[in-house]
Amino acid sequence: MTSIGTGYDLSNSVFSPDGRNFQVEYAVKAVENGGTAVGIRCKDGVVLAVEKIITSKLLKPGANRRISTVDRHVGIVSAGLAPDGRHFVSRARDEASSWRSVYKGPIPISALANRLGSYVQAYTLYSSVRPFGVTSILGGWDSEAELAVDGQVGSGPQSGAGGKVKGAKSGGPGLYMIEPSGLYWGYYGAATGKGRQAAKAELEKLDLASEKLSLHDAVKEAARIIYVAHEDNKDKEFELEMSWISSLEGPTKGRHEEVPKELLEEAERAARRALEGDDEDEEEGAKGNEQMEE
Amino acid sequence: MTSLIDHNPHSNSIGFSFSQSTNAGTKEHSFYPYTDNGGSVLGITGKDFAVLAGDTRSTSGYNINSRYVPKVFKIGGDEDGEGAHILLSVVGFAADGLALKEKLDAVVKMYKYQHGKPMSVRACAQRLSTILYGKRFFPYYVQAILAGLDEEGKGALYGYDPVGSYEREQCRAAGAASSLIMPLLDNQVNLKNQYIPGSGEGHALEARKPEPMPRETVEQLVRDAFTSAVERHIEVGDGLQMLVITANGIEEIYHPLKKD
Amino acid sequence: MNHFPGTWGRPRDDVYGPYDSSYLRSTGPKAHTQSPAVTGTSVIAVKFNGGVAIAADNLASYGSLARFTDVKRLRVFGDAAVVGFSGDVSDMQYIDRLLESMDIRENYSAHGNQLNAKNLHTYLSKVLYKRRSEFNPLWNHILVAGFDGEKKPFLSSADLLGTTFSAPHLATGFGAHLAIPILRRLFPEERPIEEITKEDAIKALKECLKVLWYRDARSLDKYSLAVITQEGIEVQEDQQIEAQSWAFAETIKGYGAQTV
Repeated sequence: MTSIGTGYDLSNSVFSPDGRNFQVEYAVKAVENGGTAVGIRCKDGVVLAVEKIITSKLLKPGANRRISTVDRHVGIVSAGLAPDGRHFVSRARDEASSWRSVYKGPIPISALANRLGSYVQAYTLYSSVRPFGVTSILGGWDSEAELAVDGQVGSGPQSGAGGKVKGAKSGGPGLYMIEPSGLYWGYYGAATGKGRQAAKAELEKLDLASEKLSLHDAVKEAARIIYVAHEDNKDKEFELEMSWISSLEGPTKGRHEEVPKELLEEAERAARRALEGDDEDEEEGAKGNEQMEE
Repeated sequence: MTSLIDHNPHSNSIGFSFSQSTNAGTKEHSFYPYTDNGGSVLGITGKDFAVLAGDTRSTSGYNINSRYVPKVFKIGGDEDGEGAHILLSVVGFAADGLALKEKLDAVVKMYKYQHGKPMSVRACAQRLSTILYGKRFFPYYVQAILAGLDEEGKGALYGYDPVGSYEREQCRAAGAASSLIMPLLDNQVNLKNQYIPGSGEGHALEARKPEPMPRETVEQLVRDAFTSAVERHIEVGDGLQMLVITANGIEEIYHPLKKD
Repeated sequence: MNHFPGTWGRPRDDVYGPYDSSYLRSTGPKAHTQSPAVTGTSVIAVKFNGGVAIAADNLASYGSLARFTDVKRLRVFGDAAVVGFSGDVSDMQYIDRLLESMDIRENYSAHGNQLNAKNLHTYLSKVLYKRRSEFNPLWNHILVAGFDGEKKPFLSSADLLGTTFSAPHLATGFGAHLAIPILRRLFPEERPIEEITKEDAIKALKECLKVLWYRDARSLDKYSLAVITQEGIEVQEDQQIEAQSWAFAETIKGYGAQTV
C-alpha cells in the first residue's frame, strides 16, 4: 500500500499529492469484504439480492434482514459495514418522507439516488467524519399511473383536458448504486461486495440493456448469481435474501416486497442445480482433456 | 391640532398611516374544549368490600351516542383488567375521564414495577388528587370516585372534585343524577333523618347509628338507586355496570336498565 | 396622494377610518382553528354478520355553498380499515397524510402484523384529544370501521374533543339525528348481529343516505360506500342515490313564505 507512511491517509478531507482521498479508498476496502449484493433492472421491475454470510450458528435463520424498505416503492441493499448501511437506510427513509411532506407524492428513484449521493459525498469532505463503509444498491419503481397527490380528495375536472396528457408514458424501474465516494450511476445490473467480479461477469452475460429479461427470470438469475459469486467463498455458509419491486400490473403492484418464500426457494433450487450442472461439465471437460493428453 | 397629531404618519415608526397591531383586540376563542357526556356513578363500601357502579349510556346533548360505554374501570391490571386491585369511576367529559384513567393506570403499574408491591389504595388516592391538581388551570372535567380495600381489608372509597379535592367516604354518588341518588344514600347508608322510634321527644329523639351493610343489601340499593334515577333523568339509562371488589378479587355484574 | 408610499393604495383614513391591519400581525397570540371552513356532512356505518358497512356523501361545503362535489370522505387504511370523515376537509387531508406516513413506517419491515381498525381508532382518538388539549383542534368527527385484534367486526367513533364511543351502528353530524333512529329501528340491539346480512346493512345505509339527502341541506345524492369483510375492502365511489321521490315535499307546509 503506497499510502501507508505518507500521512495522506490519516485524515479525511486531505488529498494526497496525486489527487486521491485514501480514506475513501479504505472505505471501499470495507465494502470489498462484505457479502455480495446484486440488483437487476428489467422492463417490468427490479430485483435486489444479497448473500448474507452466517457469522454464527446462534443467529436465527431468516432474521436480521439486510434488504430494507425505504418507502412503499423503494428498497435498499448494501454491502460493507452493516451499521453504516443501517444509518444510510435511515437517512434514505427520512429523505423519502420529507419528499412526501413537501411534494405530497412518492419520491422518484432518481431523486432519491441524487440526495443520497450528496449525503454520502458530504462524508468525504470533513476531517471530523469518516466515509460510509458501504456501497448501496437502490432499487425502485416510479409509478407509471397518474398518481393522486397524498391526501387528494377529488378526481379533477370532469371536462376539458384538466392539464392531463392522454397516453403519456411515465415511470418505470430505477436501479442505482452509490459508492463510498458519493459516486452513483444508474445501472441495468449492479453488483458489489466480495463476489462482485464474478457477479458482474454474470450480469454482463444477461444482456440487460435489451430489456428482454422478465422480472420472474431476473429473480432466478439474481439467485444464481449470488450462488455463483459465493463459489469463491465456499467455506462460509450463507443465506440468500431477495426482494423485488414490480410494475403496477405485476406481482407487487409497484411496491417493494420480499420475494415470496415459494419463489425464493424455487430460485435457490434452480441456482443450485445450475451450479451442480456447471461442476459436472467441468469434471467432464477435465476428463476429456486427460483423455486427449493420453 | 389634535387631528393633525392623530393623522401624523410619523406616529408609526415605518410611516404607515394605519396602526400596526396596537389596536388589534384579543381574539375570542370560539372553540370550547369540553362537553358533558352525562351518566351517573355511585360507590358504597362495606366491611370487607366496595361497590362501584355506573350506568353505561353515553350522551351528547339529547343524542344517545351509545348504550354501552363503561365508566367504571379496573386500575393496575393487564389489558383484560386481570390482577387489578383498585377501581376508578369517572363521570363528566368522557375523553378527559379516559385520559385520567389511563394516566392513573400507568402510574399504578409503574409503582408496582419500581417498588415490587402493589400500590395501596390510600397512596393511589393521594396520587389521583395530585394528578387532578396538576391540571388545575385546564382541569380534567370529571368527577372521580376511587374504590378498593384498605390496609386492614376494609372497603375504602374516595370521592373527588375535578381539581383534586378529595375525602374518604362511606358512599358517594356523582354525575348527572348525583342530586337524585345522593340524598337516597344519605338516608339509606348514613341513616340521615332516621331515628329510633319512641326513643324520646323533639331533640331528645335518638338518631339511628349507621353500620356497615351486607353486600346483598348494598347491591340491591345500587340497583334501586339507578332504576329510580333512570325514571327521572334523561341522561341515565341503558345498562348498569357494577364492579364489586373483595379480598377474592373483582367481580363484574351487568344489569339492563330502561333504554328510553 | 401624499409623499408616504406606505399609504398609497390604501383606503383613506379620513374617509374610511383607520385601516384594520390586524390581519398583517406577525406577533402576538398564534391563531388556531376556531371554526371549520370546507366541511363534509354525515358519515354513517353499520356492523353486520362478518363485517362493517360505512357510507358518506361526496360533498364538501363551504358554509352553505356546495363547494366540491366529488370529495372522497372514506379513506382506506392498508387492507384493514376504513376511516369515514365528517367536518373540516383540510384537517381530513392532514390526518390522511398522517395515516399514510404511519402505514409506510409500519411496513419498513415485513413483520406480518398490521395495525387493525381498533389500533387505528385508538391512535386517531389520541391525536384528536392531544390537539384539543392544545386548543388547536382537528375539526373532525370520524368513524373507524374494520376488525379488532380478535377478528371481530369493529366500529367506533372519535370527535374533535377526543370523545370516543362504540356501537353496532353509528352516525356523525346530521346522521346522528336522522340515520340513527332508522338504524336502531331496523337493527334493534336485542337482535343478534349474526342475523344482519351484508345486503341488509347496505340497503339500510342507502335508505339512510336518501333520508339525509331529503332533509340535510348540506348533503348530496352522490355518495361513497365501503364494505369491510374478512375477504377485504370493497369501496364504491361515485354512487348515486336511486329511487328518489319528492312527493312528500308538497305536504310540508307552514314554513317560509308559503301562504296556503
